[in-house]
Amino acid sequence: MKRNWFRVALVLASLALALPVAAHHSFAMFDFSKTMTLKGTVTEFRWTNPHVALLVQLDAQPGAAPEVWSMELTSPGNLTRGGWTRHSFKPGDRIELVFNPLRDGKHGGAFDKATILETGQVISSDLRAAEKPGIE
Amino acid sequence: MSLRQRTVRRNLMEGALTAAFLAGSILLSGIAACEPAVVNAPPQPKDWSALASLPDWSGVWTPNMTDQERRIRTDPVPWDKAAAAQITKLEAAEKAGDPKGLFINCLPESMPSWMLITHNALEFLFTPGRVTILGESDGNRLRRIYTDGRHHPDDPDPTFHGHSVGHWEGDTLVVDTVGILPETYIAVSEAVGVPNNGDLHVIEHMHLDKPDVLRDDLEVIAPHVLTKPWKTSRFLFRQRGRKYDIVEGVCLQGNYSESKDADGNAAFVPVPQTEGGNYLPPNH
Repeated sequence: MKRNWFRVALVLASLALALPVAAHHSFAMFDFSKTMTLKGTVTEFRWTNPHVALLVQLDAQPGAAPEVWSMELTSPGNLTRGGWTRHSFKPGDRIELVFNPLRDGKHGGAFDKATILETGQVISSDLRAAEKPGIE
Repeated sequence: MSLRQRTVRRNLMEGALTAAFLAGSILLSGIAACEPAVVNAPPQPKDWSALASLPDWSGVWTPNMTDQERRIRTDPVPWDKAAAAQITKLEAAEKAGDPKGLFINCLPESMPSWMLITHNALEFLFTPGRVTILGESDGNRLRRIYTDGRHHPDDPDPTFHGHSVGHWEGDTLVVDTVGILPETYIAVSEAVGVPNNGDLHVIEHMHLDKPDVLRDDLEVIAPHVLTKPWKTSRFLFRQRGRKYDIVEGVCLQGNYSESKDADGNAAFVPVPQTEGGNYLPPNH
């Protein structure tokens, strides 16, 4: 059992290393050992440097009011190279969101991936995938 | 006062004015003789042609971030005792999930941190007498490296990227940089680094390690925070896909969302952030 937990920890550690890291500040305030998957509705998609932001009103959990959470991503330039555009999300999109939350419990997180529920399109970002030359 | 007295007085005043004018002219010409104006000569066709014999560094270059992190371990920074104590604290804070954001004020990462820790693309422009490095995010960083044979100024105004002069040794660009603001960080991550505290000197040797891999060998001489020069290397990958074209990146833009003001104009409105610079939703 202990060995299994060790393996899980190793996988999580390697995933954390593979995640996109922001340009002008550390991402250490996000808890990459925790992954949350929640459904919600896009309220705003900010295509700005140095970090793109995706604001999502998460569906209300039982006994709680709906909450808006802010997801942080890398820069528009880096996302463009991953196939993103400033229209990748639009307000009103229903999505399933996978993210790593802020450690302090505030309503923010590091974006991992999202599925647009209407189309099934999965949108993700992996900055480390660009660590080679000659990418078309 | 008689007419003769007035005439003599006027002549004396005119003489004094003429003497003062002549003295001033001689003084100014003396200064000009000491420090003749330096003019950047217009490039000639041969100067443009000479660029064709330089190695091809065209395209957009993306950093090898994994290697940046690996080299912090393989090429450890020779911090002095005081700096090492600060680094230990900063590393512990980052590890605990409470990182100190060295660059969240949007001031430039500066030299040499830009070359050491950037996660963003950059490009090289060759023009007669100069190599220019343009960065992408965080304010479209810019380095001007003069290759026209000039020397550093005796007392350069300190700047974030310093004063750089370079020359070619075969296919290697050798760059010498001084005049960097003492407040700027020698950083090993966005959350770990110390101010260079002055007298910083950076020597770089840049060359193509492989046809599409650029290597920058850096020697960082920082006598107020390092016990000896720190030698390390950084690598960049060449991209020619058009989606890699450099785009504008204004760091402070991220502090605002696009909204409307009271008059209905398109306007930037501040967005809430954590102390560490992370975005928060409205009414968090």
